[in-house]
Amino acid sequence: MTQAGIRQDIETVAGTVAPPPELADWLAAVSQRRDRQAFAQLFQWFAPRVKRYMQRQGADPDLAEDLAQETLVQVWRKAGQYDPGKAVPSAWVFTVARNLRIDRLRRQRLYEVELTEEADAEDEHGDGHQRTLERLDARHLTALVGALPSEQVEVIRLAYFEGLSHAEVGKALDVPLGTVKSRLRLALAKLRTAMGVET
Amino acid sequence: MSIRHHPDDSTLVAYAAGAVTEGISLVVAAHLELCAQCRARARDAIDLGGALLAGLDPAPVGEGALAAAFAKIDAGVEGEPSPPHKPRAVDGLPATLVPWLPTGLDRVPWRSLVPGIRHFRFPRVDSGGGTVRLLAIAPGTALPHHGHGGTELTLVLRGSFADEIGRFAPGDLADLDPSVQHQPVADTDTPCICLIATDARLRFSGVVGRLFQPLVGI
Repeated sequence: MTQAGIRQDIETVAGTVAPPPELADWLAAVSQRRDRQAFAQLFQWFAPRVKRYMQRQGADPDLAEDLAQETLVQVWRKAGQYDPGKAVPSAWVFTVARNLRIDRLRRQRLYEVELTEEADAEDEHGDGHQRTLERLDARHLTALVGALPSEQVEVIRLAYFEGLSHAEVGKALDVPLGTVKSRLRLALAKLRTAMGVET
Repeated sequence: MSIRHHPDDSTLVAYAAGAVTEGISLVVAAHLELCAQCRARARDAIDLGGALLAGLDPAPVGEGALAAAFAKIDAGVEGEPSPPHKPRAVDGLPATLVPWLPTGLDRVPWRSLVPGIRHFRFPRVDSGGGTVRLLAIAPGTALPHHGHGGTELTLVLRGSFADEIGRFAPGDLADLDPSVQHQPVADTDTPCICLIATDARLRFSGVVGRLFQPLVGI
């Protein structure tokens, strides 16, 4: 992990172009009407970003392209499960890409549960601390990430893009594990505060 | 169920990022199933993943990539893949864990580990250098004092335990990193059943602990 590489990544995140607001409409059109034109739009926007994500995770360009294509094919197949009121499109596509990455590049899986707010309402064991969580506007959030201090962006990037455990992040940056964790906590807290979510 | 101990934000970030072992993800998923508050926190971490993906520098894809994707779509079976059969929770056992223990917590194929402690190791779960297992700790029994080479997550499913950090009841998750040394003691009159995942070997301290290590292999 070179300092130059990290700096470049930070600039990439900071200099980000916000996702177009049409993403949700395109995904809804694929979900509800199997709209091929809308899928083509989604593909043009997401496939190059998912390809970059896969390359960051260690895939060579050919494999990364195959995995990007496979991610978008899964987006088509699973689109019926997407509920526009419940998830931000980029977050939903992220989980599809992440799971494919874990399956193909690590030969493992990530155990998951339903995270929608509906699942919260069904929760009989709820502890009474139900938050009204404003779903984040993806454009807003992308800008907020760009505004985080570089040391926080750095640890976030290593976890999300390189799939490094906190201990590995600490080794890569030569900082103690506690520092890695506190930077991640600070970053998430800052995003929540900016989004008006009670923490 | 009133849950007082939750995973750290940094653990939820690692989970959402897919930067944890299968074993760790199993314990986080089981806690999320029980805790609406943490499901909301995990959604934040996934939204962050989405924003990061959206912010990546696009890598050009080949000219024919979209056509190839359509060809794959058309070659496949159209329609919803039938949703996987979702197990339901069995008295006190989160649905996430039911595939391994379809008969619930009353009929776990326990193996004795040391006097007062039984365990069940989850087969076919990759935990890197660590393990994922259920422990049943008899009332009053203490685990040897130990620290951790990596992360240790402990989710209480039945009974309770107390250690230097606090008291942990069903649904509570103890999220410990290498800086913590602790000695959990089952402190009610029923065995404490908990799900424990580590991503590296534990470090037992003291003579008793070092004798214990090779026996239990955790």
